[in-house]
Amino acid sequence: MRSRLPRTACLLRLIALCILLSHTAAYFGLTGREPLVFLPGPFSNEPPTGKAHLKQCEQMTLTRRQKRLCRREPGLAETLRESVRLSLLECRYQFRNERWNCSLDGRGSLLKRAFKETAFLLAVSSAALTHALAKACSSGRMERCTCDDSPGIQHREAWQWGVCGDNLKYSTKFLKKFLGQKRMSKDLRAQVDTHNINVGIRAVKSGLKTTCKCHGVSGSCAVRTCWKQLSPFHDTGRLLKYRYDMAVRVLSVTNAATGETELAGPRRHGQSLRTTDLVYLEDSPSFCRPSRYSPGTGGRSCAKDTSCQSLCCGRGYNTAMRLTSLSCHCQVRWCCHVECQTCVREEEVYTCKTA
Amino acid sequence: MQYIDEGAKTGIRECQYQFRHRRWNCSTVDNSSVFGRVMQIGSRETAFTYAISAAGVVNAVSRACREGELSSCGCSRAARPKDLPRDWLWGGCGDNLNYGYRFSKEFVDAREREKSYPKGSYESSRLLMNLHNNEAGRRTVSDLAHVSCKCHGVSGSCSLKTCWLQLADFRKVGDALKEKYDSAAAMKLNTRGKLVQMHSKFNAPTSHDLVYIESSPDYCLKNQSTGSLGTVGRLCNKTSEGMDGCELMCCGRGYDQYKAQIVERCHCKFHWCCYVKCKRCTKIVDQFVCK
Repeated sequence: MRSRLPRTACLLRLIALCILLSHTAAYFGLTGREPLVFLPGPFSNEPPTGKAHLKQCEQMTLTRRQKRLCRREPGLAETLRESVRLSLLECRYQFRNERWNCSLDGRGSLLKRAFKETAFLLAVSSAALTHALAKACSSGRMERCTCDDSPGIQHREAWQWGVCGDNLKYSTKFLKKFLGQKRMSKDLRAQVDTHNINVGIRAVKSGLKTTCKCHGVSGSCAVRTCWKQLSPFHDTGRLLKYRYDMAVRVLSVTNAATGETELAGPRRHGQSLRTTDLVYLEDSPSFCRPSRYSPGTGGRSCAKDTSCQSLCCGRGYNTAMRLTSLSCHCQVRWCCHVECQTCVREEEVYTCKTA
Repeated sequence: MQYIDEGAKTGIRECQYQFRHRRWNCSTVDNSSVFGRVMQIGSRETAFTYAISAAGVVNAVSRACREGELSSCGCSRAARPKDLPRDWLWGGCGDNLNYGYRFSKEFVDAREREKSYPKGSYESSRLLMNLHNNEAGRRTVSDLAHVSCKCHGVSGSCSLKTCWLQLADFRKVGDALKEKYDSAAAMKLNTRGKLVQMHSKFNAPTSHDLVYIESSPDYCLKNQSTGSLGTVGRLCNKTSEGMDGCELMCCGRGYDQYKAQIVERCHCKFHWCCYVKCKRCTKIVDQFVCK
């Protein structure tokens, strides 16, 4: 009896550690605590040389399994950095007029709780990963995958004409290994996170369009080459923002038929939870004042007639004048460049008051 | 002079309308006379109340002049505006804006000017702030006054038109001053005893803008000295994201939900001739009250 107790305690501790690790492994992106050297720069055009990617793999915060996958594939490190950059820019763009503007301050604390914003961060980071991987495959930056080779598309003719479809199939398969999602997790938070990651991946999948090019006799469509292409990441970002606005608060219920626990939201016209809905567990805090989740809305720039009212939370705004230069009186010169003059204009800039 | 009282009361009513969705809803700590209430802190809300009170006095006195209720003034004798078309008549009986403006300036500012404070003290900065805000309120009224015309030609056509100066609806004055409240400028006293901007990188306030010298207190909790009644017991709107939403209004304290019975008029019918008769319907709605 006595020898069993420490073993079960040890086992419980190991399970707790695994759950903790699964939280941090599910989200791949910036948490606000990385050293500045990690911030991704623009893509370099040379192919990845030898051992350079090993150093990059070490610099990123990855689990052991992720590091192993990273070392095996030379082009992966650059792709991971590109996905982080994509998700950062897209998140900031979509939330530019909201009180929480996707800032890095307080993101660590935000990720520990299951708010709507955490759901969006998870979805956009997994969508960026999927998108970047698929594009990297088709651009030839990865060694283990190339163009889309799904059946039903005349891929051989596509190669002849220099067209390469985005390889979404490899991307989603790789992501499952990389993020290590466990299906049968009883922890509510893990279920919510898994659901949101799948929402992100599905959003990218839904943006896959078949594009065709006609090249028959005299340009007719007697002969066509088609390939699948991902929509631009802005469209995916916009779709995810819409899902964020329609997010559903859930709780865990036990399915009477199968005996498993599953997520269920409030009854909404008799509809059950859809696989494309973002879910969250707790109501978001107010992001007006500086708190541990955000730096507050003081100093944010806003537009006088539209966003200042809600952004500044009733504190009012300051007006300042700013000189902006822009191109004007543009003319086309033959042939073939455009010449523009620079006009300097003074415009009013409004920033929210801090107190 | 009940018109001054009326004007100040109009100002307070408009203030309470403009701020009905905010934590501070322009309520007074004690219900004593209108002129007795002094806002102790030189905040943005104080700036607004001074401006809207001065505007209210201008409004009330100008209207009273036009209606002939004051012996010392009559209809407006303002000069004909230069951009009026030549064949329109200028006459009628317009609101006497000039008199109202001068009266408000002398009467309302007299209370401030009769005291003198040492240069560089807090009281002198409050004095300057109050004078500036009163002037801003008066100027808003005179800016929004417009030319109004009436057609009285053959068969009511507009071949003959008479125009006069008319004050804008006070609601518009309230809206304009509320916008000035949002963009009010923070000021401080410089060594020479004049009010200057706290942060010089922002635009300097004009005589139409509101100024304030201290930041607003937290209106969440009741405080006798700042004049705040707190937000306990205020109604809030559960679905709104703005200042009247339950998170911001209740300051994170949470809210209680009640079902309230509302009686309102419904099924209104016009009877010949000439009255409207309505029935009374009761409706049960959800009300949210801050804790």
